[in-house]
Amino acid sequence: MSDLAPNSQGTVSAPRPRSEPRPRPTSAPASRRRNQSQAARTARRAATISARRLIASPSALVTVGAFYLMVSSVLAGLWSTAAEAQGGSIVGYSSAALVWYIVTSEGAINAVPLRLIETIGTDIGSGTIETEMLRPQSVVGLRIAGEIGSAVLRLGVCVVVGTGFALIVAGPPPVLGAALLALPALLLAVIANIVAHHAFAAGAFWLRDAKSAWFLYQKLVFVLGGMLLPLEVLPRPVELVAKALPFAAVSYAPARLASGHLEPEWLLVQIGWLAVLGVVATLLFRAGERRLIRGGS
Amino acid sequence: MRPLLRTWATAWSKAAANRHGFWTGITLMTLNDVAWIVFWVLFFSRVGNVRGWDIDQIIALFAVLTTSAGFVLGMLRNARLIGPIITDGGLDAALSLPIPTLPYLLTRQVDSLFVGDMFFGVALFLLFGHPTPQRLAVFAFGVFSAVLIFTGFLVLVGSLSFFVGRNEAGDLGFQALLLFSSYPVDIFSGATKIFLYAVVPAGFVTSVPAKLVTEFDLGWAAATLAVGLGLAGAGALTFNRGLRRYTSGAVWTRA
Repeated sequence: MSDLAPNSQGTVSAPRPRSEPRPRPTSAPASRRRNQSQAARTARRAATISARRLIASPSALVTVGAFYLMVSSVLAGLWSTAAEAQGGSIVGYSSAALVWYIVTSEGAINAVPLRLIETIGTDIGSGTIETEMLRPQSVVGLRIAGEIGSAVLRLGVCVVVGTGFALIVAGPPPVLGAALLALPALLLAVIANIVAHHAFAAGAFWLRDAKSAWFLYQKLVFVLGGMLLPLEVLPRPVELVAKALPFAAVSYAPARLASGHLEPEWLLVQIGWLAVLGVVATLLFRAGERRLIRGGS
Repeated sequence: MRPLLRTWATAWSKAAANRHGFWTGITLMTLNDVAWIVFWVLFFSRVGNVRGWDIDQIIALFAVLTTSAGFVLGMLRNARLIGPIITDGGLDAALSLPIPTLPYLLTRQVDSLFVGDMFFGVALFLLFGHPTPQRLAVFAFGVFSAVLIFTGFLVLVGSLSFFVGRNEAGDLGFQALLLFSSYPVDIFSGATKIFLYAVVPAGFVTSVPAKLVTEFDLGWAAATLAVGLGLAGAGALTFNRGLRRYTSGAVWTRA
């Protein structure tokens, strides 16, 4: 193709540099597409910067790995001792399956900063968020992207440490295919967890503090999310309710797969909850930002 | 002693001044502790008994843990913040006062969130710990020893910041002590169990006092008290040694 393109008057314009994009007639969908790709680029950049920042501080990664190993070893020890006391298994989980369950559920939770809700709440309450509202991108979108960038690194550390620990203590995963499915489930769990943190923290736009939301969310994930215990341990009606809640998507789903249950439908459940949580977080942040603009505080 | 009591009273008044925040903190921590009790009830309803531990003993363990940790993290809030205060150069305000620096720092701040833990622990023991005069006395002894161990350990690991200039290891040490103290030490075996008595003394913080409440043993009681006094002494010694190396950060707000 020649660079000497005819213009609308039928004359030939000067050649354009190759790097410069050709002007196209602008329509609403095209402009929306451009905005979306720009937003995606910015989000990718935010994730990369956040990940690089974490790489620059290896001691923080070591701390994440060490803390994760401590928590996993304690809970895995508790559950495997209990399984042995019960003749080898509890609610259908063998001692080895319980070790794989715990290292996975803990990995999903430890990859995200434990006090993220509180931190977001502080940023909202202190007015830091108002500065971010000056940018032409979505505040919540950019924040979530940044958190995903560093969480993926932390998750990598947890997967390496957790797999090593479980292989030593319990041997190979009970069902290899299910364990492989647990990897994408872990990633989905971490992203869903980050989005859920933002949805819960958005309450700070109205309450000016997210400490209560943090406590509430943490306890819901601990018990109803299956972080501390397989959901089958709960009384049957509570178990059914817990499995239908979003908290199961952030911890139980990958742990269930890693413990040898080939149930790929959990990935679909996670994707569904991720979409719902994303919409809820976006709507709440939009409403909160509007409130800040109206209040002028 | 009197200035320290005054400092403590001022810190308490400051924490209680925000009445809404104070009661919210206490309520939240109570809910947090109830969630843990629910976990243990569910666990033992499935398991029954693990290496000699049942729900009654776990309640004694949890009562000792929440009361002692609640006292240290709530009433002596700065015990956990010694490391950050040192690394951020925030000791200056305390150094200029005519009272001993470490006791002043420890009594300077109260955190209502953890005070809720303390109240919960006492209530838990009174309601579900089958209290008798003897069990109550042993419970009080266990809490006292655990407070000594917690405070000594936190001051010790926090004071290491004087020498290494960083605080990550100290915070990790604190998390380890709190975490391992939350579970019966008998679920571990071999080297881990020795580690939990000798290095991170979690076994002495809760497991031994909980066992003493059920079955008192003078030898274990003496060992627990000795560990508490030893750690408290080591913490104070390390802090005072480190203080000689401290150089001003010209920050007047954190202490």
